[in-house]
Amino acid sequence: MSIEKRMLARELKLAAARPGDIFKPMWFLMLVISMVPLALSPDSVLLADIGSAMIWVATLLALLLNTEHLFQSDFSDGVLEQWLFLDRPLAWLVGLKLIVHWLFHVVPLICITPIAGLMLSVPTDVLIALLMTLVVATPALTCFSGLGAALTLGSSRSGILGVLVMMPLFVPVVILAAGVLIRATDGSEILPLMALLGAFSLVAATLVPIAVSAAIRLNIGGSN
Amino acid sequence: MIFEPVSLNISQVSCERDDRLLFHNLSFALRSGDILRVAGPNGAGKTTLLRMIAGLFEVQDGVITIDQEPLSERRHQVLYIGHKPQVSRDLTVIDNLKFLTGFDEPVVKQALIDVGLRGYHDSLVKELSQGQGRRCALARLWCSEAPIWILDEPYTALDVTMVETLDRKINAHVAQGGLCLFTTHQLPQSLNFETLELGRVD
Repeated sequence: MSIEKRMLARELKLAAARPGDIFKPMWFLMLVISMVPLALSPDSVLLADIGSAMIWVATLLALLLNTEHLFQSDFSDGVLEQWLFLDRPLAWLVGLKLIVHWLFHVVPLICITPIAGLMLSVPTDVLIALLMTLVVATPALTCFSGLGAALTLGSSRSGILGVLVMMPLFVPVVILAAGVLIRATDGSEILPLMALLGAFSLVAATLVPIAVSAAIRLNIGGSN
Repeated sequence: MIFEPVSLNISQVSCERDDRLLFHNLSFALRSGDILRVAGPNGAGKTTLLRMIAGLFEVQDGVITIDQEPLSERRHQVLYIGHKPQVSRDLTVIDNLKFLTGFDEPVVKQALIDVGLRGYHDSLVKELSQGQGRRCALARLWCSEAPIWILDEPYTALDVTMVETLDRKINAHVAQGGLCLFTTHQLPQSLNFETLELGRVD
């Protein structure tokens, strides 16, 4: 079996063994969204106005929730250091892990956002734009929070620290996505901003695995 | 399987960690058939030295080569088992080994029988006892094609029978032209090894 197939088989089995990691962020997202009308106002015009932005931010937080410990258990079990002995560049293996993580932990989140959209009476065309921004932007967000997770592997309170470190990189993605949502609400052209978001994700997907592998090496070097 | 002759050269390696000099200008060479036990008190740098040779800890000063080639080129010839569990708790014994060794089910199952884990292949690692978990990690030795074995405290949590089985395996490995470095505080009875004593350098 090739190393890639072995990696994929292992990641799939780990995802199946930890269903909570997939469902907890989904519950979190639905919980936040269902609280918004209660805390704010059930006025559907107001909710439709802010709904898409609320859903976007809640999805970002849910994504951070399930990515902050991306490498933690492999690191503390000592399996991560075994990756260095596989006959493949570490950055390539990290890239595979990030792709599988996005498919199994982030895509389910995106899939339930239409339900959240209905709950906040977001208009259909804005909802479609919302889904598109999430599909295009979440690879970048997954990469950045994965990098935060890798950088803080060695420290005990790694979760929140990793998020803090990566915050500046989330900001442009959020601003661009918000721009798309505002334009979608106005009914103006969203393609240029979507292209920028896509470019962000592509650059992240190419460069971040290299940075993650350097961070992992650094942390493995510092541990026993 | 017979290995090609392999040599491991450690020359003038020094290590300082947290402002403490662990070892200084350490040089030795190992060839096919050698077994080296790295000994020394707790904190003497045994694990650090093994991790350096395995390429997990950066060599700050000095050179480590395998067959005159830098370590990074020959990673896949090294099998390192550290003192962390080395297996994922949420996966079954067989899934862990299939990932780590790349071998198919029959080979891995045979390895599990050899380490006394017959019938445990579908158990999750978190359901095993500590000694069984250790056996699971060590089962990789039974399906390894790497000539250089680096074992950090391999005897921890093993019972007498497993210690003997492991000794036999290490002997068979070096007889095939492999070489083995390990650390332990127990003296293996049936191994013919040399000892490298790491002490504190002041």
